[in-house]
Amino acid sequence: MSPAAATTALLAARSGSGVPADVGVPTPRMKSAPVEVEPTVEEITDFDELLDTDKPWLVIVWNDPINLMSFVTFVFQKLFGYSKEKATSLMLDVHHKGRAVVSSGTRERAELDVYRLHEHGLWATMEPST
Amino acid sequence: MSAPIRRRRDGRYAVKLDASVRAVLVTMAEQLSPIISPDEPMTRRLFPPAYAGENEQGKEADYRTLVDNALINHHREAFAVMAATAQADILTEPELNAWLSAVGSLRLVLGTRLDVSEDMEAPDPEEPTAPEYALYELLGQLQYLMIDVLAAGLPDEGRPAGAL
Repeated sequence: MSPAAATTALLAARSGSGVPADVGVPTPRMKSAPVEVEPTVEEITDFDELLDTDKPWLVIVWNDPINLMSFVTFVFQKLFGYSKEKATSLMLDVHHKGRAVVSSGTRERAELDVYRLHEHGLWATMEPST
Repeated sequence: MSAPIRRRRDGRYAVKLDASVRAVLVTMAEQLSPIISPDEPMTRRLFPPAYAGENEQGKEADYRTLVDNALINHHREAFAVMAATAQADILTEPELNAWLSAVGSLRLVLGTRLDVSEDMEAPDPEEPTAPEYALYELLGQLQYLMIDVLAAGLPDEGRPAGAL
């Protein structure tokens, strides 16, 4: 299963538990066509992935000047089930060091975590561990 | 005087807010909801990149294709719930969570427009950005109140320090 398909499946699986269903909400027109990736680039990307399959991906939250510290802590507790202590410690890392790794796992898992953080307005990215 | 937002014994939340604050929430939700898009500069902040690496444009494009509509729907749903319940004195937990999400999105949009920084001081009252900054502050106070009561409902709140 491709990462994209996996995430779609994960997103669909969550749609019964609090995530608004896609039904009934108007979809805005796409202002630009989906980006088409050159086939050769795609092949190289896949090749890289083959080499890196067992390396976990890290989910990183970056400091931003808008989100309240208490909100960031709350989101870490709510999304990852972290204790208040652990969530606060991660939030302080984000605040003082500029970023913190908040979870890690397969690319599919990391993508879902990033998506859930994006739903909450946090600036989250993912990168392969080195 | 009781808190503006408090958890009731039945698990719902009592909300005491000024009518003017409720009206502002509805107006902002109705203005922002139709234009939410990663292509709209004002709402761009609601769609952060997942892949920041130099050679990951392909992965990022795949991620965008996969989630952008879901993100738009998520934010619109939150705005719709907040607008529909804006005059309510009692909210369910999902409704209050929708408010938290909607108010957070409004704050992100305003804060990005105002280009706020962590140690920024409020602009002088005669500055053109003063009204918008006051609104940004109001949303922050509202968000703080909501987090306070919602965090108290999380499973491990109040657990003794050191226990895992």
